[in-house]
Amino acid sequence: MQRTLILTLAVCALLASAIYAFADIPRPKSTPVEGKTILYSGLTVTSDPKAYEARLQISQGTLKHLQDAAANSGDGGSMMQRVMHSSTRTIMAGTFMFLAISFAGIWFARSAERRNSKAIAAVFLVAMVLGLATVIVRANAGPPGYIRWQNLPQSLKDGKETTGGVQVELVPGDDNIKLIIPLRKTKGPGEE
Amino acid sequence: MAQTLVCGKAEKVIHRLKSGPLTGGNACITCMERAEKINVAVWHGPRARTRTRVNAKAFAAILIGSACVSAALASWLPLQVSIVSVFLFAGPHNWFEARYFLMRLPARFGRSRNFFIVAFAGIGLLTLAYVSLPALYYANVWSGANWPNAIATWNTLMILWISALVLMRGKQKANRDWFWVLPIAFALCAGNWLAPELFSLAIVYLHPMVALWFLDRHLRRAKPEWLKTYRRCLALLPLLLVGILWQLSRTASLADDNGLFWRITQHAGADLLPNVSSHMLVSTHVFLELLHYGVWIVALPLIGASGAIWSLKSIPVASHSRGFPKLIEAILVCGLFVVVVLWFGFSANYTLTRDVYFAVAMAHVLAEAPFLLRMI
Repeated sequence: MQRTLILTLAVCALLASAIYAFADIPRPKSTPVEGKTILYSGLTVTSDPKAYEARLQISQGTLKHLQDAAANSGDGGSMMQRVMHSSTRTIMAGTFMFLAISFAGIWFARSAERRNSKAIAAVFLVAMVLGLATVIVRANAGPPGYIRWQNLPQSLKDGKETTGGVQVELVPGDDNIKLIIPLRKTKGPGEE
Repeated sequence: MAQTLVCGKAEKVIHRLKSGPLTGGNACITCMERAEKINVAVWHGPRARTRTRVNAKAFAAILIGSACVSAALASWLPLQVSIVSVFLFAGPHNWFEARYFLMRLPARFGRSRNFFIVAFAGIGLLTLAYVSLPALYYANVWSGANWPNAIATWNTLMILWISALVLMRGKQKANRDWFWVLPIAFALCAGNWLAPELFSLAIVYLHPMVALWFLDRHLRRAKPEWLKTYRRCLALLPLLLVGILWQLSRTASLADDNGLFWRITQHAGADLLPNVSSHMLVSTHVFLELLHYGVWIVALPLIGASGAIWSLKSIPVASHSRGFPKLIEAILVCGLFVVVVLWFGFSANYTLTRDVYFAVAMAHVLAEAPFLLRMI
């Protein structure tokens, strides 16, 4: 009887220490999961000195788009994201592009004898126009998104609106809604 | 006109060969080669025109009417029309297509032997690989994550196979350098590896239009005076397509709340293009499929392309003195049996039969490539 009691106490003490030890195990570090962009929309940040709570206003149309995008987000991201995350496919696509350009060159060289110089000049002209158009379009690209948010602190102080683009991301967990503003540190006058 | 010229040319060459010695061995060989190139068996004689069942105006009216009715039905009831059209026409159109291909098959391959070996080997192996892809997936041989790579590999093999056929066909034609097909093929391969699923979807939408190309090539040979009318009618196709896209682009997506409807919307690309209305996608696909069926089942038989469907006389492999009439007869009868089995299958379990059909039907998609090339 005494032996059984001692044994039971020992087991209980062991279990209690196990629980205590287990409770003392540091919480495993959760690896940050990258959010998945499902929608690109616009965002306006403004202040309201009379309001008591922060408010998030979403139009019905945007909410519907958001629901649709969330419902269809199971395919692993956009095509570009999927390609970027697949080295095999990128390598294969690059190899075939290389082959395409190489064989196009061979074909062009082979058939150059049969073509007149006007046709060759026309091909080069079209290529140049396309190249120039690409440069112009690229040069005409809008400013990066963070530029629009640069005046946010000052605008908030002044009670003005600031509008810019926003990517809606789905992240795992049940945390609060988080708004990440791309603010760059601006160097003051005389700062190096 | 074209037939008369070709037949006349053949007769002249044969007459020259019979009538006397030619100057030099090379000239004789050239004449023999020219005679061999002319595939007299697959050409109808002057009787072909008289055999036509309709005139050009009626033909154009039927084309335009069919296209408009198809567009209206596909836009109005896309899912229902898809189910009914596949049930009714999937099997028969394959049978008509197979018969047409047999008709285009020369009795003796001659210099085209290698072309046909590559063609049939490609059709067999690619179909086998295509059918085994889902089987291997369900057998857990690979995970779903590798699915795009498997699809991309299959698409690459298909592109390279078609390129090889184009090059071989180009070599058979004098004064034609079809080397340009290689850079295009490699560029297509690159695009395919960037987005394999979208490339496969493009095949789904482009395949029905190949039938229109067949009809064009056939008219050019058999009824050249109708070609202009036909091409004018073809101008209606982009208009109808733009009309469908414009009308349905803002419609709500179709309710794919059961397995069958889900399969139909997925087949049309609803999963790959989530921001596009599935109603528009399914309607466009069904419209193109209806045109495809119409060409093989109505248009080509209407212009006398296949003669009486039960007759083997228009099939060179069967009618030739050294042909295989029994084998061809058996193939056609077995084909009819498969059509009836498909109908029973659709009646018993439509969803499963549809899945099986679209997997196996890849064979007829592939078979169109070599036979179309033979007509170019």
